[in-house]
Amino acid sequence: MDELLQEFISETQETLEALAGEVVAWEADPSDRLRLDAIFRFFHTVKGSCGFLHLPRFERLSHAAEDVLSDIRSGTRQPDAAMVNAVLGIMDRIAELTQAIAVGAPLAQEDDDHLIAALVAQQAGPVQADAPAVTLQRGAGPQGAGQPVPRTIRLPLSLIDQLMNGVSDMVLARNELGRQLRDQASDPALGGAFERLSACVANMRDAISRTRMQRVDRLFAAIPRTVRDVSRELGKLIDLRLEGGDVEMDREMVEMVVDPLVHIVRNSIDHGIETPERRRALGKPETGRLRLEARQSGNQIVIEIRDDGAGIDTARLVEKAVSAGRLTPDAAARMSETEKIDLIFQPGLSTAQVVTAVSGRGVGMDVVRANIERIGGAIGLDNHPGRGLRITLRVPLTLTIIPGLVLRAGGLDFAIPRAAVIEILHDSNDMLRIGEVGGARIATIRNVRHSMVDLEDILGLAIPAQPEPRAVMVVRAASGLPFALGVSAVENHEELVIRPASPLVMASGIYAGMTLPDNGRPMLLLDTTGLARKACLPEIAENPVAGRNEPEVDADADTAEGLEMVAALRFEALSGERRLIRLSLIERVEELDIDLFGRSGDHVFVRLEGRVIPVINDCHGFGRDRISVLRLRDGAREAYYAVGVVLDIVQMPAVPDMIAMHGHLSGVCVVEGEHLEVMNAFALFASLPEEPLGHRHPGRCVLADAEDDWAREILAPLLRHAGHEVLIGLPDGETADPADIVLCTTSDAAQAADISGCRAVQLRAAAQPSGPQDASIYRYDQHGLLAAIAGAGR
Amino acid sequence: MTRLYLFATLAGERVAIMAEEVEAVVSLSDISPVPGLGSHVAGLSALRSRVLTVLDIAMLLHGTSTAVEQRQLAIIAEIGGHSYALMVDGLSDICRASGGQQPLRGQLYPAWRLYARAMVEHEGRSWLLVSPSAFLGSGIADQAA
Repeated sequence: MDELLQEFISETQETLEALAGEVVAWEADPSDRLRLDAIFRFFHTVKGSCGFLHLPRFERLSHAAEDVLSDIRSGTRQPDAAMVNAVLGIMDRIAELTQAIAVGAPLAQEDDDHLIAALVAQQAGPVQADAPAVTLQRGAGPQGAGQPVPRTIRLPLSLIDQLMNGVSDMVLARNELGRQLRDQASDPALGGAFERLSACVANMRDAISRTRMQRVDRLFAAIPRTVRDVSRELGKLIDLRLEGGDVEMDREMVEMVVDPLVHIVRNSIDHGIETPERRRALGKPETGRLRLEARQSGNQIVIEIRDDGAGIDTARLVEKAVSAGRLTPDAAARMSETEKIDLIFQPGLSTAQVVTAVSGRGVGMDVVRANIERIGGAIGLDNHPGRGLRITLRVPLTLTIIPGLVLRAGGLDFAIPRAAVIEILHDSNDMLRIGEVGGARIATIRNVRHSMVDLEDILGLAIPAQPEPRAVMVVRAASGLPFALGVSAVENHEELVIRPASPLVMASGIYAGMTLPDNGRPMLLLDTTGLARKACLPEIAENPVAGRNEPEVDADADTAEGLEMVAALRFEALSGERRLIRLSLIERVEELDIDLFGRSGDHVFVRLEGRVIPVINDCHGFGRDRISVLRLRDGAREAYYAVGVVLDIVQMPAVPDMIAMHGHLSGVCVVEGEHLEVMNAFALFASLPEEPLGHRHPGRCVLADAEDDWAREILAPLLRHAGHEVLIGLPDGETADPADIVLCTTSDAAQAADISGCRAVQLRAAAQPSGPQDASIYRYDQHGLLAAIAGAGR
Repeated sequence: MTRLYLFATLAGERVAIMAEEVEAVVSLSDISPVPGLGSHVAGLSALRSRVLTVLDIAMLLHGTSTAVEQRQLAIIAEIGGHSYALMVDGLSDICRASGGQQPLRGQLYPAWRLYARAMVEHEGRSWLLVSPSAFLGSGIADQAA
């Protein structure tokens, strides 16, 4: 009996979750028979099962709902908003009761009568359907009956966890076996068998990890209902679109993202999308658009929430921050637009004019961001004032495996999520200055000041003496500012399998979980936010602005002496000359393995973290294994400049003492009695390859002749390399975008393109044009072709 | 009422623990310390692929930590989905106690009053009945319930 009850509970809860969206969709389109049937079936099933399980309250509720729906099915009654409300009310009550039974709590002694009365009372009411407040469209995913449902079974989560643990044990045993095999004399047959076993174990591990995956649909399940309820409350009209429901993500991750997502959706409707009257006055369609889209990108899930509402009023945000005393008007004036938008993540700031029931209850975007960052995700805003807001959530594919750094402090190993680390320096580095005032330590790195603490001090450990320099990591806390964390050493970078630590350990507030590395010694994952809190580091919003402003202050002070001086890095070039480069250009100094450098044509580049970054000068042939490089940035692009030795930071005149433009040099300066060549920043960046590698052209190219092998195999790759999105075959009329560029190899296709209103570029196989009227382009004329596409795109 | 009990020496005292609350008794390998926690948390230890949070009950009760060379045996208990190891001084027996649970008698040390629930008779001596989850502190024991 208990098993039957358990089955009933989990089935009911699952159906309820899926059904909330269906009811809203059905309200939008009452003629949708399939949805009505699905809802009717649900109540019918509940009624049937609870009669058997003896749950009279369920029976009464579902029976009443079934009656009404059955009337609608037979056409004797029309659905209206009030009735849908009543049906939803009954579903909510069933959900409450189910939950109560599931946890064994006593059933709420509320009266069900008014719910049932609400259903029946409407029968006398007006028989006209209200304009639905929400229209709902789903981009992908199975709809209605017809489609085959994949066969599934229900498994307890504990069994899956057990499997996971079993596989982890297998991995550990394999590693141990591998170590022992390496120590023994190698037998190729044994080695081969071990390799095969290894591969099987790895496959198994992947497969088991997938059992934890769940369709994003589940994440979206609560959204239609929320949108309906909120929009109704606020009298707004919303057109909701959900896309990418078939993307899969970790089950636990779904749980973690649901609340922030619902919050963002509420915010969008409350603060973003305007009332119908206001939208009409602004010349927008009365119905606001809200679009949720999920997609997988590498090892991340990207969830985009886009609305066409008012966007964020940054002026108002700043005004609020200033009046709340969090920001001085001075600092506000110096802030960039991005920094202003970031104010939305400050606790207690809201652009809501009035506090409504929906938002402004103190749970703000700061909490949303903290929750997303806690699971190793990031949140991005793309604000278009007056036209809408796009919020992008990026979360890791799984909670359980994150890239991390292993560090040593006080003789122990700890892990830290790589996403939390901004940079790592040795404390012997010239760019780092550690000062002390009133007991507080401040690390100044390139004129930006950070609070500095040693991890050992936070953890109450002794700092062991060590011959090599200690490492200073600049880490980001979810709320507040980056801070500098001193540790003995940063050991290596690993993919860590994270599991929850026991509540006793979590209670300390400084750990986010634990991991069991191959050596079999448990290691704890540090929580940077918790560390900052434990160390009582101040959280000041203004600091980055103040920090950035400092070089200007320094420069002013120097101007007073008559000559404008700027900070510069003194270094020895690979070829041995001593040179200067403006410090403000340098993002950081790194040391890279020579293996990371590659060459393509005349250009040298570095592969780093999956990106390709150009290197300005050639560093091959100097016989070094490791190369010091300056990472330069002109605001948009980055490049490396390889140097021999980094010496120190000095003040140099802003204009060289002798101007001598030549190659990458702009002249010569005398600093401390030494003649030094000054690098010309303009020339450095000008010598980079034209397109930043991986830069994308706007615009999509459509290859009209889908059957043409040449277009598919030769032309399409060229266009993709040039950064275009390529669509093979003409799209159906509705999806054709006027910005598309159609490439065709026959004149028929060119006409078809003209009809659909797109610009067309015609290609020919012959090298010479057929006549003066022939505007087509020879298909192997690469420059002509790309120029024509660029021209047509304008 | 003839339930199975595990009879052990915990923090120098004779205790009985209901067998269903004990998952296993293991000998501990090395323990990685966890800084920043109460001193009664000795650290983490790996048991195959499981990670145990190791508790030093002597530290919790008497404020004296168990010497490293005595950190050998531990009782494993699963509480609220996490595995804990309670370091014990020694094990006597696992058997049924014919007398069942008896009320607490006499004047207990104040430290034990928080944890002892009853007494169990075994081999003519009294043993304090304790529950592993009680040592986790009230907040966590509630979560476990």
